[in-house]
Amino acid sequence: MRIPCPYCGSRDLSEFVYHGDAAPKRPDPAAENASELFYTYVYLRENPAGPLRELWYHASGCRSWLIVTRDTRTHDIAGAVLAMESAS
Amino acid sequence: MTRLGSGGLIDRSQQLRFTFDGKSYAGHAGDTLASALVANDVKLVGRSFKYHRPRGILTAGAEEPNALVELGTGTRREPNTRATTVELFDGLVASSQNRWPTLALDLLSLNQLLSPFFVGGFYYKTFMWPASFWEKVYEPLIRRAAGLGRASGLPDPDAYEKATAFCDVLVIGSGPAGLMAARTAARAGARVILCEDDFRLGGRLLAERVEVEGRPGAEFARSVEDELAAMPEVRIFRRTQVFGTYDGGTYGALERVADHLLAPPPGVPRQRLWHIVARRCVNAMGAVERPIAFADNDRPGVMLAAAVRTYVNRFAALPARRAVVFTTTDDGWRTAQDLIAAGAEVSAVVDPRREVPDSIMAPLARSGARLLRAAKVTRAIGGSSGVKAVEVAQGGSLLRIEADGLAVSGGWNPQVGLTTHKGSRARWSPELSTFVPGSLPEGMRVAGAVSGDYGLSACLRAGHDAGSAAAQDCGFAAASPDVPRAEDEPIAVAPLWHVTGGRGKSFVDQQNDVTVKDVEIAWREGFRAVEHLKRYTTLGMATDQGKTSNVVGHAIMAELTGRPMEDVGTTVTRPPHLPVAIGAFAGRHRGRHFKPTRYVSGHDWALRHGATMVDAGQWLRPQWFSAPGETDWLTSVIREVKTTRLAVGVCDVSTLGKIDIKGKDAGVFLDRVYINRFSTLPVGKARYGIMLREDGFVMDDGTTARLGPMHYVMSTTTANAGKVMQHLEFYHQVVWPELDIAMVSVTEHWAQYAVAGPRSREVIQAIYGTAADVSNGSFPYLACREIMLGEIPTRLFRLSFSGEMAFEIAIPARYGESLLGELLREAVGRGGCAYGTEALGVMRVEKGHVAGNELNGQTVVRDLGLGRMASSEKDYVGRIMAGRPALVASDRPTLVGVQPVDSKQRLRAGAHVLALGAATTAENDVGYVTSVVYSPTVGSWIGLALVKGGTAQVGTRMRAYDPVRNGDIEVNLVSPIFVDPKGERLHG
Amino acid sequence: MVERGPLVLRPASAIPELCGSVELSRAWVLACERHPQLATVIAYKGRRADVAARLKDRYALSLPDGPRRATRGASALIGLGPRSWLFQRETGPALEPELSEVLGDAAAVTNQSDGYVVFRLTGPRVRDVLAKGISIDLHDRVFVPGCSVGTTCAHIGVILWRLEDANDVSVFELAVFRSLARSLWHFIEESAAEFGLAVTPAC
Repeated sequence: MRIPCPYCGSRDLSEFVYHGDAAPKRPDPAAENASELFYTYVYLRENPAGPLRELWYHASGCRSWLIVTRDTRTHDIAGAVLAMESAS
Repeated sequence: MTRLGSGGLIDRSQQLRFTFDGKSYAGHAGDTLASALVANDVKLVGRSFKYHRPRGILTAGAEEPNALVELGTGTRREPNTRATTVELFDGLVASSQNRWPTLALDLLSLNQLLSPFFVGGFYYKTFMWPASFWEKVYEPLIRRAAGLGRASGLPDPDAYEKATAFCDVLVIGSGPAGLMAARTAARAGARVILCEDDFRLGGRLLAERVEVEGRPGAEFARSVEDELAAMPEVRIFRRTQVFGTYDGGTYGALERVADHLLAPPPGVPRQRLWHIVARRCVNAMGAVERPIAFADNDRPGVMLAAAVRTYVNRFAALPARRAVVFTTTDDGWRTAQDLIAAGAEVSAVVDPRREVPDSIMAPLARSGARLLRAAKVTRAIGGSSGVKAVEVAQGGSLLRIEADGLAVSGGWNPQVGLTTHKGSRARWSPELSTFVPGSLPEGMRVAGAVSGDYGLSACLRAGHDAGSAAAQDCGFAAASPDVPRAEDEPIAVAPLWHVTGGRGKSFVDQQNDVTVKDVEIAWREGFRAVEHLKRYTTLGMATDQGKTSNVVGHAIMAELTGRPMEDVGTTVTRPPHLPVAIGAFAGRHRGRHFKPTRYVSGHDWALRHGATMVDAGQWLRPQWFSAPGETDWLTSVIREVKTTRLAVGVCDVSTLGKIDIKGKDAGVFLDRVYINRFSTLPVGKARYGIMLREDGFVMDDGTTARLGPMHYVMSTTTANAGKVMQHLEFYHQVVWPELDIAMVSVTEHWAQYAVAGPRSREVIQAIYGTAADVSNGSFPYLACREIMLGEIPTRLFRLSFSGEMAFEIAIPARYGESLLGELLREAVGRGGCAYGTEALGVMRVEKGHVAGNELNGQTVVRDLGLGRMASSEKDYVGRIMAGRPALVASDRPTLVGVQPVDSKQRLRAGAHVLALGAATTAENDVGYVTSVVYSPTVGSWIGLALVKGGTAQVGTRMRAYDPVRNGDIEVNLVSPIFVDPKGERLHG
Repeated sequence: MVERGPLVLRPASAIPELCGSVELSRAWVLACERHPQLATVIAYKGRRADVAARLKDRYALSLPDGPRRATRGASALIGLGPRSWLFQRETGPALEPELSEVLGDAAAVTNQSDGYVVFRLTGPRVRDVLAKGISIDLHDRVFVPGCSVGTTCAHIGVILWRLEDANDVSVFELAVFRSLARSLWHFIEESAAEFGLAVTPAC
């Protein structure tokens, strides 16, 4: 598999580390139900068949965390952006 | 000899000697092992998998199920090599396999008498009871009797390597379609890689009597090859099989660099595994012919009709002098023509079709061959030396036709494998009676026989079009169309899968000895889906993966179930399309080079000083230093510990991770990733910190020092350096991108040495001289400072892992070795020594410091007695989850020290802790020993353990039970701090 | 305090065995070890333009906005990531203090001179050698002089860049962490063996 790193260009899968679904956001630790929110954040993931925005770390390249949109059925990659510059 | 006097693509001027089963033969350059065996009239080449039936050569390609041989001898012996693709070389040694004692007299062929036990599903039926027989009786029995070749069992002497290649257009296969695709794309200016499994380009052009542009096919192939070879953007990979289609236009290919040589030349690998990254791919892998099942269709001398043409036309070797051709295709009739043209006799052509076009029959009208329509071969008659006659049924009567060879043509199977590796299914074509590629992987086109275009002219055209389109996709305008002129030979086929009525076994899968009857049994017993059929009968397994057998087997199942082939479908194939040696996947990464090794600056210095090195992740670290006369490690380690505690010791700690963290939010960031506070740490001070994973468990520990208002340097454990960097980058880039910080690893820039012991200050002071005052007042415990040593910047820390007064000095790595020498000289002058990781470990256990064994991903800070470090006034990674009830429960295993009651007894790490007198059951397990060392300070083996109730249990006596090493001793639970519990030494 | 003469520390090579290699008569790949001064430059939040301006001012170097290498005289600037660069200088006074002063509070400057060893590789078959470890398209027209990449070579992290051709032959440099230099050298030796490898003190 090749991943299009926004900084480095198309790179081999072996340069990256996978981190999973990019949707969960670290909850507010001051929230009243923080322990529930964190439990969900740490452990619960959807497992959709289809396009998924995922976190990947370009460990052997520019050391950027990326949000890669990958179809989990086909491994087709629609695009990748730097997590730091991602609006969401 | 059956070698023809002229013709073929062999070099008769080059004679190559080889042996098969110890007997010497000769062949020529350009031969395969199979063609040389054919030329030497060797028909019997192997014994079958289950029944040990005599087998010959069925095909002329990589799909061969029968002619598997052991190639080479000694360390280079390789089993299950297909004789049909082995390029002959001088000195080649091959032997048949799966026979005992000899190929001709194989006593294991008695298996045939047991054949009722070997029917479909026999593994599951025969070897069921009693269970105690599974490992001791059944498995050895099956392994000895049934099987393929033998691995050498010796270390492989050859090198393998991996490489990556990039191109615009990858062309797989160099038959007429592939050659045209490559030429067209290359002429358009695309970067082209052409892969051909064979050692010669041309595919069927080499094997058929055809003309392109009025020239023989092989000549045309050569002219295209010459043109391609002269183009700088074209790479031709011969002897290279593309075995897999992967994501993103990546293809796996194996180049057999030196398999056609007796041994690889110096520096040259035997095989090279290629990752080919292609923007577009033209798959022109062609098709393989399929056999027809009839009684005893596995006799030596029964060969696929196209393979017969290959041996006759390409290799000028006659597989039969007097042949019968059994064909259900127009194509098979050409075999009869080619045999006759080569001087052989054709006794009969047997075609089950009622109507065969005159144009096909006419050329054979005066050949003397009997042309039998609406007829079927029911049985091949003969013995282990081969076919002697053929039994033919026509119109209710049985004929016996004398022959020494039988050519069979059941139609063609496109090689759809590479089109299905990404999950798409092959599609049944009723017009062609075969499976053709379904939806294609992105970027791939198919051209030629692989897509069911069998005619030569059609192949040339399809290859041209695919090459042109692929080049255009990559932005290269195609040159004006240029498709060479050729004929489309007749290719009609009327499928016939098997012939009933003959007496004897009718084989569907010759490699796995699966018969028509086995398919019927599977059907009867409910294993009707093709994937179930495969698992139940082994149809389509092993090295050939059913390339000649799957479709026949599936068609028979379709007949039995009364379902159309579209519904029955065919099995899914996965990479590799052809067998690949494991060594090729390993490449050069074996032995010491399995993973890269990291060397400290003081590596050679350590070796010169008697160090034994130990792997620590990728690093090599000195484990201990043997002084003259010391022969066992424990003696050295005890000396190192005693010397350090009494005087001074020097230890290389360069491998610890070091991360520079700068910026105005550096302190805030550290407060969030550590459980304790760093924003309030004064400049010039260091502090021990612990970081958690978000799930609340301890991830890593280390000391972080503040070198300036906006500058910290963090240290991590050796093992976790990379993981911590990734963790920090995650929280910075993904979670808190608003923080203004800059992080970079400086592990490699700084070599770092610990100097520990009561006289360590003297050593450090001697190194710095007047450059720095390191007295206790000026440089107390946990102080840190950047100090110039002449022109060289250094960093000095007052840290201690050993419990002694200690310093760590960091220096740019190029000066590391030199500084080590100076440090040791100063230390030795004060009765000191160098120490390694063993002594380091002893001293940290004596001091009750946790390390990797305790930071094992299952412990929280309270377990380690460090709960008081956690700040309650701020949030940090892992805080919320660490508060889960189970993680704060009072009965969690917590850190204690353990000491054998009898000081002579050996304690072992990993031993389980049980109450005295408790039965050795899992329920009674209250913890385990994490780290054990021999402590010269205490005078016995001591350890750290995680025990339920922990601190509250200190003072009790328990059992350390180690069934793995027969250990079962009584131990006292004690404080984990064995040395200087008040910490007076390190502040000294 | 113990009295002693002034301390003399000597620099050491990361790969002693490289120094002893023999020069071959017919070399397809030439290799040598180099030790330029290096420092990482990481722009603080929103300060990229400042960093670019100050480096332009002082060194006439354009800040690469991708994986490229800009050069001016003995200095070069290699793009490592979206806001980090590796400053390289063959000679001159100590790099880190100077750069820190030039960049002030706009960027974090960290000395890495001892963190990397740089190998220079050249020869008609140099791409064939690199292809055995690196999965980057190094084609002459794709990876042109001035291109750089952070990637792995035989599972070893490297920064690779291409210099201007010398005598019509491509020249590459690979920076590798000092501790991994021997492992990378082992890869180079094995991978170049079939072509012939020569080692020169300077190339």
